[in-house]
Amino acid sequence: MNPADVAQSVLPLTSSDLSLFTLFWHAHWIVKTVMIGLLVCSVWVWAIAIDKTVLFTRTRRGMDRFEQAFWSGQSLDELYRTLSTKPNHSMAALFVAAMREWKRSFEGQQRSFAGLQMRIEKVMEVTIAREVERLERRLLVLATVGSAGPFVGLFGTVWGIMTSFQSIAASKNTSLAVVAPGIAEALFATAIGLVAAIPATIFYNKFAGEVNKQAQRMEGFADEFAAILSRQIDERG
Amino acid sequence: MRKAAAISTGLHVAVLLFAVLSFSSKTFEVTPAESLPVDLINDKDFSELTKGAKDAPKVEQPKPLIEKLDPPKPAEEIAPKLTEKKELKVEKEKTAEPKPDPIADKLKKQDEPKQEAKAEPQPMPPKKPPQKQQPKFDADKIAALLDKRDPQRNAATGAELNSTPSLGTATGNAAQLSASELDALRRRLMALWNPPVGLQDAERYQVIIRIKFKRDGTLAVGPQVITSGSGVRYEAMRDSAVRAVFVGQPYTMLRPEHYEIWKEIDFTFDTSQMFHDIPTR
Repeated sequence: MNPADVAQSVLPLTSSDLSLFTLFWHAHWIVKTVMIGLLVCSVWVWAIAIDKTVLFTRTRRGMDRFEQAFWSGQSLDELYRTLSTKPNHSMAALFVAAMREWKRSFEGQQRSFAGLQMRIEKVMEVTIAREVERLERRLLVLATVGSAGPFVGLFGTVWGIMTSFQSIAASKNTSLAVVAPGIAEALFATAIGLVAAIPATIFYNKFAGEVNKQAQRMEGFADEFAAILSRQIDERG
Repeated sequence: MRKAAAISTGLHVAVLLFAVLSFSSKTFEVTPAESLPVDLINDKDFSELTKGAKDAPKVEQPKPLIEKLDPPKPAEEIAPKLTEKKELKVEKEKTAEPKPDPIADKLKKQDEPKQEAKAEPQPMPPKKPPQKQQPKFDADKIAALLDKRDPQRNAATGAELNSTPSLGTATGNAAQLSASELDALRRRLMALWNPPVGLQDAERYQVIIRIKFKRDGTLAVGPQVITSGSGVRYEAMRDSAVRAVFVGQPYTMLRPEHYEIWKEIDFTFDTSQMFHDIPTR
């Protein structure tokens, strides 16, 4: 008996239509779930990646523009007035928070210089933390997908190979035409897992580095600004 | 974020569509290859492959020998002329009969009934069917006559025909001496060899003897012992080996066509081989 005939009689999946869709459609439902889950993960990872790329680019550009404006010799009050309405990026938010605290200290009935320096630093610290939190939000998803994706895909593959071996044992035929489709559909799960995990890992590393860089830049600005304000306080006091 | 998610979804759908369209697997077109004949040989066969080189000069293949024998000549037929001549003579006699001869006539008349009776069987000898004559016995041709084979046969394909070696491999070192010939020689010598019985530590003794043959398989010179040793037991063992070589001649299993190869053979008498077959307790 020709093995090819056996394969066609035993399995509806012949080697002639091994397209992606049939690979997916003939898989076990657990493998299907794994594949769908990984596909959703991949979509989510790319959504986060696009979102973060846009956010980081905008933040960097805003920082550049703000630093240019800040060091251009413009009056800080004027700068505060223009930015206070909508502090759209991290460094501006930092500046606005510090200036607000400064203004509050001067506008009140009694001037409270004593803890002003400390208060400004605290405010800026909190703002930096909030901004960094905003920058690295959802990066953990990337990390998780990047590390767990291959395992999830491997789980799907192992399960698929288990079931395909069971069906091979049932059909009592070990020709490649019988074995190959089941293994191909099982390996498809690992393929999707890798497709999801590889970009996730790459993007996570890239964005983690970016967050670090921007946080340092904000901290540097915060120190400088604190020094400037401290000099002002000493001069006025 | 929603925008990014939409972009990402769109991207995935596009990639999946592309994959579905481009990933359609083609079946492997297996071109039916001609099957190669494979021979299984053992290590010994491989090590004794005949040596050959591709650029070696072409050896003129000797033409096949054909024993040409005169076909036995067909027996000479008996000429049926003789009988016919006799017939003619008889008729002549008959025609000569009615010559007038009164005395004879008278006599004849008296004798006629007798004569008639006599003459009747006489007129012609009974026609003998042309009998096949037996071929004359010829002592020189007796062998050919006894030969019942087809006179136009080819000579038997013997060693002469196969004397040209096949291409062989570049590493082979055996000439033409087949393993079976050597094995036959070995079996013969081992059967004849009767090593001294009281040999202790028999495993240790090994005697290599150089045997020089003549073309007819007898010894050209006495066997030369190549290995050296000393001691009574060694000498007894060596002598037994030499004796075996002497006793075994003529070595007819060695074919004279390959005389160049076997005219000198170093043969190893090894007591470990000899006693190997005896199960040790």
